[in-house]
Amino acid sequence: MAGTNKKTGKAGVPAGASLYLYRKLSSLRVSVYLLGVLTFFYGLGTVFPQGAALEEYSGAGGKVVAAVRLFNLLDIFNTPWFLVPAFVLFLNVLVCTYDRFFTIRARKKTLPETFPADCAVTLDCARSDVEEELPGILRGKLGFRVLSKTPGWTVLEKGLSYRWLTWLYHAALAASFAGFILSGLFVREGMVTLRPGKPAEVVSAGEKLGWLEKEDHAAPDFRLVLDAFITAYTQSPSLEYPTDKRSRLAYALGWKGLSYKSEEDSFFPKDWFSKLRVLRGGATVSEKTIEVNDPLKFEGYTFYQAAYEQTLRLRVKGSPSIVEAKAGEKIKLPGMEGEFLFGTLRVGTLNRLDGTVEKIIPFTTVKKITDAKESAGKGMRLTPGNSVDIDGRTIELVDFEEASVLSYRYDPGVPVLWVAGSLVFIVMALRCFGRWYMLAYTLEDTGGRTLLKLHIRAKGLSADPERIKRRLLHCLSNRA
Amino acid sequence: MPQELILSRDAYLLTIDLRLFWLVAFIYAASALVFILHAVTRSPQAGSAARGIMWAGVVIHLFFIAFRTFEGGRAPFQTLYESLSWFACTASLTCVVVSRKFRDVHVPSMFVVMLSAGASFYALLTRNPAVDPLSPPLQSWWFEWHVVMAFLSYAVIVVSCAIEGTYLISRPLLARGAPRALGLTAQDTDGFRKTAFNLVLFGFPLLTFAVFSGAAWANEAWGRYWSWDPKETWSLITWTVFAMYLHAMGIPAWRKNVASILNVAGFICMMMTFLGVNWLAKLLGIPGLHLYAV
Repeated sequence: MAGTNKKTGKAGVPAGASLYLYRKLSSLRVSVYLLGVLTFFYGLGTVFPQGAALEEYSGAGGKVVAAVRLFNLLDIFNTPWFLVPAFVLFLNVLVCTYDRFFTIRARKKTLPETFPADCAVTLDCARSDVEEELPGILRGKLGFRVLSKTPGWTVLEKGLSYRWLTWLYHAALAASFAGFILSGLFVREGMVTLRPGKPAEVVSAGEKLGWLEKEDHAAPDFRLVLDAFITAYTQSPSLEYPTDKRSRLAYALGWKGLSYKSEEDSFFPKDWFSKLRVLRGGATVSEKTIEVNDPLKFEGYTFYQAAYEQTLRLRVKGSPSIVEAKAGEKIKLPGMEGEFLFGTLRVGTLNRLDGTVEKIIPFTTVKKITDAKESAGKGMRLTPGNSVDIDGRTIELVDFEEASVLSYRYDPGVPVLWVAGSLVFIVMALRCFGRWYMLAYTLEDTGGRTLLKLHIRAKGLSADPERIKRRLLHCLSNRA
Repeated sequence: MPQELILSRDAYLLTIDLRLFWLVAFIYAASALVFILHAVTRSPQAGSAARGIMWAGVVIHLFFIAFRTFEGGRAPFQTLYESLSWFACTASLTCVVVSRKFRDVHVPSMFVVMLSAGASFYALLTRNPAVDPLSPPLQSWWFEWHVVMAFLSYAVIVVSCAIEGTYLISRPLLARGAPRALGLTAQDTDGFRKTAFNLVLFGFPLLTFAVFSGAAWANEAWGRYWSWDPKETWSLITWTVFAMYLHAMGIPAWRKNVASILNVAGFICMMMTFLGVNWLAKLLGIPGLHLYAV
């Protein structure tokens, strides 16, 4: 690709048959068309539920099932229809960046010889005096640097070059694409359930793998162990507020006042904490208490607090066996009619409104579900070691176990993305909010006086060419 | 302090908070009505008065937001009630600041104040004003920055669209020889439209930061920087449409009509990202990670 193209006269441009392709890929119009095509696919991806199974989709009354199946619309972002234009856009950004590099580098050579004058000022002194003083004012007082000097016009520049900034954030955008591609190729992600004190390997049956990752890849040589799982609750009083619009207006007009009510069981989860250790060969090599927004990072893997599981061990009086039930799931109990639903086990700490923190005496709730309908109300409260009577039978909560569910991810694309993404934002902000000026001037002798012709170009939101003109004229009029 | 006292104090503060927001909504509505009066009568006094009322609404709205921040002890952007208020406030604030550049043109301000009034009444009539504790995923450094930047970009997008729309309506009228259309003269149009472009230029890095910070936050909270969640995807659509707009402004043949259409389309996409996507997800039964904001 290197060398100067004879047809275009531009360095770095290919010749012959690839010129057409190169021109298309470095075209601004093509960028807009490609962005338009991708926008269409993005839109499709929000109309069809991504990741859903086709049966689930059609079962829920989904439309155009045949087209959904044919074009794989439930996984649109992994289809060639999307990936091909996305890759072409990546090429477009790359080629544009490559092309602009040579264009910008050659800019000094391509500056015009004359400029249209935006303003002309007659100075009451000899041209030689102005010629001597003007560069000093522009460089010393106004901070310009000389870009080119011809017998006619002198061209100066001030500020970070908007062209290079624009080039740089496009280059960073191309690097972000590279980050996405790395993610797509090498990602590994899954879920791991940790039970207190039981070390677990970091591998899961439903692991999602990048395009180049193999199903039988070796699991990492470390294991995770959960030392404790804690839920911190906060008291959450409920506001007594009407739902109908007219009553709400009554509050606005002052006819009614608001009030809060706090019920005994108003628990709002403040956070979930998992105290983790990383074991290698039986020794602890890392430990951390993770929470939502604060994961554990270890050797390229990141472990996130995703969910939790609560297993309740129950005994129905008269039945010899212990039954395990999951909180939040329906279950049939031995020797009893219908299904039962056990609520979330409340265990951990409670931050009260007055600032005190107390340890919760663990409890769950149980209610019977008849004819697939949940019975109204909150259900009966059940604490470990105690029992409740339902339909003449006694259900005892023997004990419980909490497990922490972590999602994990190994993604070599993330560091690339953070560096490139930060660069995109910072450089784009400098380009848009900053200021850049190009000032060209020429001097003409008008019989003992000097005519100064100025041409100013400005870019960036904080650029103010009028201010530059004012300052320059002020400096010239106040010169010694 | 005993719990009952805390609850009655919170209820008292919330009552003040609620009435302040109703007051703001009524002021925006009054401003919109006076703008309509100006559009009908073409009285310059009505236009100035409407703008003055809008300023008053913005000042009280800023006070309301400060009050709610004090009341909740956190930035008031958690619920849709709060984000609608923040949206209305930032859009109106941006509009009153930007419209100082074109004092005789009131159509953009009328559009923005109507939108602000609509957002405020929608929040007040359909959402619960309770100050809830922050849910665990929202307890992040990214929360304030992501929301503030996103809504600042939304605010400039709204005003930019209002200006672009006014330009689109006035251009054919002026081309037909009308000396003045919607307060604009033929000489004003380029500078007026440049303001719309500059606003997008201001908003685009903020929008970029909003998308980027959203991904960074998702990576910390959910373990994936991108999940093709409807809200994420619509934010990307909005970003892409504005990228198309900025590129179209660099193509001389597209600078007028195509770019104008893209600017207005960007606003529609922004509204989809903010509100429409929640309805769309509910309508189509698409699960979303951002449904706490519904």
